[in-house]
Amino acid sequence: MNRLMQATLNRQAWAARPWIWSYVAAVLVLIATWSFTGGAGAGELLSGALSFSAFFAVAGLGQMLVITTGPGNIDLSIPANIALSGALAMKVMNQQDSLIGLGVLAVVGCGLSIGLFNYVLIRLLRIPPIIATLSSSFLVLSVAIVYGRSVRIQPPEGVYQFATGKVLGVPWVALLVMLLALMMAILLKRTRLGWGALAIGQNPRAAALAGIPVERIRCCVYMVSGLMASLCGLLLAGFSGGASLSMGEEYLLASIAVVVIGGTSVGGGCSNVPGVWGASIFLYLLVSMLNTFGLGAGVRMILTGCIIIAVITAVSGSAVSQAKAR
Amino acid sequence: MSIRSLSQTALVLMVAALTTTAHADTADRRIALSNNYAGNSWRQVMLESWQKTTSKAVEDGLIAGADAYTTAENQATEQAAQIQNLILQGYDAIVIDAASPTALNGAVRQACDAGIVVVSFDGVVSEPCAYRISMDFPASGVEEMDYIAQRFPDGANVLEVRGLAGVSVDELIHQGIEAGADKHPQLKVVGSVHGNWSQTAAQKAVAGVLPSLPRIDAVVTQGDDGFGVAQAFENSGRPLPIIVMGNREAELSWWKKQHQANGYETFSISSSPSISSLAFWVAQQILDGHEFPKDLRSPPTRVTQDTLDDALDGLAPGSILTEPYTVDDALSLKAATSSQSAE
Repeated sequence: MNRLMQATLNRQAWAARPWIWSYVAAVLVLIATWSFTGGAGAGELLSGALSFSAFFAVAGLGQMLVITTGPGNIDLSIPANIALSGALAMKVMNQQDSLIGLGVLAVVGCGLSIGLFNYVLIRLLRIPPIIATLSSSFLVLSVAIVYGRSVRIQPPEGVYQFATGKVLGVPWVALLVMLLALMMAILLKRTRLGWGALAIGQNPRAAALAGIPVERIRCCVYMVSGLMASLCGLLLAGFSGGASLSMGEEYLLASIAVVVIGGTSVGGGCSNVPGVWGASIFLYLLVSMLNTFGLGAGVRMILTGCIIIAVITAVSGSAVSQAKAR
Repeated sequence: MSIRSLSQTALVLMVAALTTTAHADTADRRIALSNNYAGNSWRQVMLESWQKTTSKAVEDGLIAGADAYTTAENQATEQAAQIQNLILQGYDAIVIDAASPTALNGAVRQACDAGIVVVSFDGVVSEPCAYRISMDFPASGVEEMDYIAQRFPDGANVLEVRGLAGVSVDELIHQGIEAGADKHPQLKVVGSVHGNWSQTAAQKAVAGVLPSLPRIDAVVTQGDDGFGVAQAFENSGRPLPIIVMGNREAELSWWKKQHQANGYETFSISSSPSISSLAFWVAQQILDGHEFPKDLRSPPTRVTQDTLDDALDGLAPGSILTEPYTVDDALSLKAATSSQSAE
C-alpha cells in the first residue's frame, strides 16, 4: 500500500514536471555520444553544448512567453530580428569597447520596437499573429539587408571575450542566459504580467472578464519576445565574430521546437522555463551525436524527426496524466 | 585539334569582331531575373552585380529592361508561379537562379514554348530547352583536395564541411571531395558535417563534432563557412588546421591576420557571384541571334597566398570576391566550352 502511494507520488512528481523529459533525453544522447567516442572530449562537448544552447534558449524564452498567451499567438519575426539586431550591434559598436553600452541600448531599443510593431499589426490591423509576425519579419529582414549589407564587422574585443569566454569551464553566455531564465521564471510566477499571460492563455474571455488588461499584456509579451530575440542576435554576433544575414535562419523552427519539447503547452496557459533550456541542450547534443556517428544527411534528418517525436510524446503523455491526476 | 574546332574558333573570332555592331538588335527586348533567395552575402553580391551590369546596359540602349525578382520563401512552387507571371508579362528572356534543378521544369518548358529564352545559372534547371551556366563544382572539390595533398604529402586527417543537405550543388562539390580522396589516398576524411553555407551554422556543427574527432590537419569547405570553422577551432583551443576558404571577405581577412601572426597559408576557391552578369550577357547575346551550347562552364575565382593582398584590396567588409564580367567574357565562355566539347 505504502509502496503504491509512493509510486503514485513519484508519478505525479514526474507528471508535474514535463520539462524533466528534455533533460532525460539530453542525458541519454550525451551517454550515447560518449559511449561511441569512448568518453573522449567529454568536457569539450558539454561546454560547447552550454554555449550553443544558450542562444536557442534566449530566443526560446521569448517565444515561450508568446505561446503561453494562447492559441494563435506565435512570433515568426525572431530570425529576422536576430539578423537585424546582430548587424545593428556590430555597426553601432564599431569594434570599440567604449561603444558597447550604446550598442546594447540600440539592440534593446530595436528588439522592443520590433515587438511593438508586431503587436500594432496584430491589434490595429487585426491580422492573425502568425501572418502579422511573418510579414513583419520580411520587413525587418529587408531593413537588415539594406542597413547591414556589409555586416561582417568584427565585434569589439570586450563583447567577443564575453561571448566566447568561460569561467570554470562554464561559458559566460550560459550564465547570462541562466539569469535571464530565472528572471523569466520570476516574471511568470510572481508578477501581474506573468499571471496575466497565463490567464489569457487559459481563457482570454475569462481573463478579460476578471479585469486583466488583456491587450496591454499581449503587447508586453510581444515586446519581451522581440527583446529576447535581439539579445540573441547580439550574443550570436559576438560569439561568431560578426553578424550575417543568414544567422537567424534556423531560429524560426528551433525557437518553437525548444518551447514544445521543453513541455510548454502549445495551446497556451502553461509555460515551462527550465524545459526551454533542457530542450536547447538536447537539440544541440542530438545534432552533435548524429554528426559524431557519421551518418548520412538523410538518415540524420529522419532520426532527428523520430527522436523529437518520441520526446514530445513523452512530454505530452506526462501532461495528460497530469491532467488526469487533477 | 580537328578542322571542325578550327573552324569553330574562326567563327567565334568573327562573331567577337562583329558583336559591337550587332548590339542594337536587342534594344527593344526585355530580360527578367527570377531569383529564389536573397538572404546571404553571395546572393546579395549576385543581385548587386546584376543590377550594376543591367542598368549600364539599359542606359547604353542595349536592352529595354532587365528587372530582378526574388521570391520571399525560397520555395520551388513559388518560383514556378513567378516564372509563369514573367511569361505573361511578355519578357523575351528569363534568367533563373533556381530553387530546384527539377521542380521548375514545367514552368521553364512553358517559357520555352512561348519562345522565351531561358538561361539558368548557379542553381541550374535540368529542362533541356534551358541554358545552364555553372561552375564545375566537382572539379573545385578535387582542387581543394589537390591543394591539401600538396601541403601534406605524408598524409592528413581532413574534416569535410558540406553545404545544405539535399541541394544539388552540395552533392556535386561532395563528389569532388570524394574523388579527391580517392586520388590522394594519404588524405583521410575523418568527419563530415553540414554547415549550410552559413558561418554560424558551420561553427556550430564543427564545434559539436570536434570533441569526437582526432587531430584535424585540414578542412575542406564549400564557401561562406570557412570563417565559422576557424571560430570553432579557435574556441576549442585546438591547433588551427589548414582551412580551405570560399572567397568571403571575413575568411580572407582572417587568413591575412593569421598569416601576419604566424605565417599561416591556405587556399580559397568559389564561384564568382557576378555569374549573374555573365548569365545576363549570354541571354542578351542569344536574343541577338548568337548560338551557344546549352551547358556552359564559368571559371571559378581562386585566391592564393600570392594574390591574397590584391583580393582584399577594395573588398568591402562582409562582401565576397567577385569578377566583373563583360559581354566578351560571355563570348569567350562560349569559345572555351565549344572547343572543349569538340576535343
